[in-house]
Amino acid sequence: MDFFESLTLGFSVLLGWKPILIIIIGVIVGILAGAMPGLSPSTAVALLVPFSYTMSPTLALILLTSIYIASNYGGSITAVLINTPGTPSAAVTALDGYPLTKKGQAGKGLGTALVASTVGGAIGVAILILFAVPLAKVALKFSPADYFALALFGLATVASMGRGNTLKALAAILFGLMIKNIGIDPISGVSRFTFGSDQLYDGFTLIPALIGLFAVSVVFVKMESWTGAPRVMEKVDNKLPSLAEFMKIKMTILRSSVIGTVIGIFPGAGATIAAFISYDMAKKASKTPEEFGKGSLEGVAAAEGANSSSVGGALVPLLALGIPGSATDAVLLGAFMLHDLVPGPLLFQDNPDIVYGIFCSLILANIIMLLIGLYGNRFFIKVVSVPEAIMYPLILAIAVIGSFAVSGSLFDVAACIGFGVIGWIFKRYGFPVAPIVLGIVLGKMVEENFRRAVMMDGFTIFFTDKLAFIVLLISFLSFVWPLYKSWKHHKAKQG
Amino acid sequence: MKKNILALLVAAAMLTGLISTAQAAFPEKPIKLIVYTKPGGAIDVFARKFTAVAAKHTDATFVVVNKSGAGGIVAIKYILNQKADGYKIAAVTRSNIGKIVSIGGKIDTNEINWMGLMVVDPEAVITNRKAKVNTWDQLVADAKAKKGKQIWVGPAAGGNDHIMAMKTWKAAGIEAKWIPYAGGGKSMAALMGGHGIAYVGNPQDVIGRPDLKVAAIASPKRLGGEFANVPTFEELGVKGLNNEIMWRGFMSKKGIPAEAEAFYLDLLNKVNNDPEWKAYIEKGGASPVMMGAEEFAAVVEKDKKEFTRALKSLGVLK
Repeated sequence: MDFFESLTLGFSVLLGWKPILIIIIGVIVGILAGAMPGLSPSTAVALLVPFSYTMSPTLALILLTSIYIASNYGGSITAVLINTPGTPSAAVTALDGYPLTKKGQAGKGLGTALVASTVGGAIGVAILILFAVPLAKVALKFSPADYFALALFGLATVASMGRGNTLKALAAILFGLMIKNIGIDPISGVSRFTFGSDQLYDGFTLIPALIGLFAVSVVFVKMESWTGAPRVMEKVDNKLPSLAEFMKIKMTILRSSVIGTVIGIFPGAGATIAAFISYDMAKKASKTPEEFGKGSLEGVAAAEGANSSSVGGALVPLLALGIPGSATDAVLLGAFMLHDLVPGPLLFQDNPDIVYGIFCSLILANIIMLLIGLYGNRFFIKVVSVPEAIMYPLILAIAVIGSFAVSGSLFDVAACIGFGVIGWIFKRYGFPVAPIVLGIVLGKMVEENFRRAVMMDGFTIFFTDKLAFIVLLISFLSFVWPLYKSWKHHKAKQG
Repeated sequence: MKKNILALLVAAAMLTGLISTAQAAFPEKPIKLIVYTKPGGAIDVFARKFTAVAAKHTDATFVVVNKSGAGGIVAIKYILNQKADGYKIAAVTRSNIGKIVSIGGKIDTNEINWMGLMVVDPEAVITNRKAKVNTWDQLVADAKAKKGKQIWVGPAAGGNDHIMAMKTWKAAGIEAKWIPYAGGGKSMAALMGGHGIAYVGNPQDVIGRPDLKVAAIASPKRLGGEFANVPTFEELGVKGLNNEIMWRGFMSKKGIPAEAEAFYLDLLNKVNNDPEWKAYIEKGGASPVMMGAEEFAAVVEKDKKEFTRALKSLGVLK
């Protein structure tokens, strides 16, 4: 079957009110779940798997993939408005999105996130449709040494998060790496730092930690400085960014979409790592890097373009090879199996209607997401006008519910509050919290692949594997350079 | 005479009443079926398929509840902390036994009612069809040439698959290296990418993945269907690997009411004989079976011993 025939087949599957309705429902559920801290894309999709059981396989998968793509955008809404990332990858969006809200420009933050997500999502899906099979094969060729180098490159992006104090960012990332060491050793299977507790067997769950560090910590900061005086209401502007502003960030959106898709393809990398790396690249390429962290539209676009495009990327190994590349992919694999289907090359042959139906529904889901987002932003933005005396208790309540929702365990709630205290202490002494998340997310990838590489070929592999060597060199330079610059800056100030 | 007939009728009515209440006594409310992975995991799919087939044979309602964490320990502990009323059961696999052993005696397997073992899945050595080394004989020759440096990929050390790999190496008289990946999916990706020579899994792993093939299977005789060409270890001259299995089944807490026990025994037998269930299980190269509590408990004991021995030799257990 030729390509255009396949696409026509795909769209023909979507004809009728039922598939369109399913996509709309999927997008709405996805946006809401994404915005809700605690419901990550994988949890949101997992929650709907049982409901999709009675649907036809095509409709079920259209529903689930629509949720997947929309939830990555939904996470940005709460990140921008109340500094509470709804999804792990939106932690990067909050870096610049929340400062925009504080400046009274929430509309710009939300608008940029929406457009970057839509464009990113579309580019990711386009790459998926056009090159799924060859790309998946290339990604498989990457050895553990290459993965280690890439993960280290991701860690090096910490240098762009210090807001002038790289050493404090470094301390925060080390803390994140230490947290990641808790739980079962991924290579030897021995328990580490679990103190005999089953709860710690899998380590701390990312989402409660994330909610604690970002949202609960803010509540504590407010409690400390509480005066009881009603906040002077700043004017909240729901104006979208102007066309000129979009034109200025179009390269950032395009770049971050390509980065997001490519990183999404690698099994085990995913949306959060994509957002961090893309943010770092955007800052380095920017004409106004000093704006980053203070409400840069480029920063928001870089994070959202990357995390939404990573969805298309992550579907590449799943659909082309039957290998789940992300946590959400693993859930989708299960959904396929529930319907007696196995994703992989044979699915293209045996059920092209399903494969191309999913492809086309993803294109449509992006468009619907844009429309719903444009309409919904007007309502979302009202959240900012909620009085503080109601807002902060509400954030705390959402944090508790959200961390409980992850796996229905009170331990996660306690962990969330604990991380809230840690986040509060970090903020009190001027340490950034985003690098902690980076450390938790990348720590596992760095450690596992380093040990695998050494077990397979010994330490020399990092010098003999060309790709790994080059990437390691780049990461070393991109890490050391800002350190050197800040040291020079410091010296100049003293002298 | 009239009185007698009346008495007889009353007695008969009471008796049928008794019988019908005895039959209706279980279940009176929905049954929670606990799954130890998040929705979409292999065992979750298995549990949901079970409830769909069971619905044909009983009016009882099953609600699948996912309680993930610590490789099944969270789910099993949940069951053991509830009342033994028969309304909470869990789907279990052989890897749960490995986890129970590896956390060191904190769960007493004697407190568990091993209700029924329903699927046996033969263990298999899987290779990359496109690699130079892809048949069992090539694999053995390559391993001998590489002198212990041949790479096998799979989930974490000390798990089901790793232990099967070590057994295989011993039986075949070869040495190799185990490089762990985070789960079966990523291990198969590594095998497809040519980073390892072999993966230990089950025949169903190659379905839909034409790059992978089953090189040898640890069952007493060949499987049917698309696996008819796969040789058994016995045929390949490797002794002692003709009955290595991965099993799936159901458990509850010990001491559930007798009528609940009877209900489950009857239901599991009915599902086991259901053609839809049979087709679902056999499609993946596995076999539907029905082992009751005693037989199942014996399998668990045997597995516990094997895991204990293996984990001690690896240094995970002291």
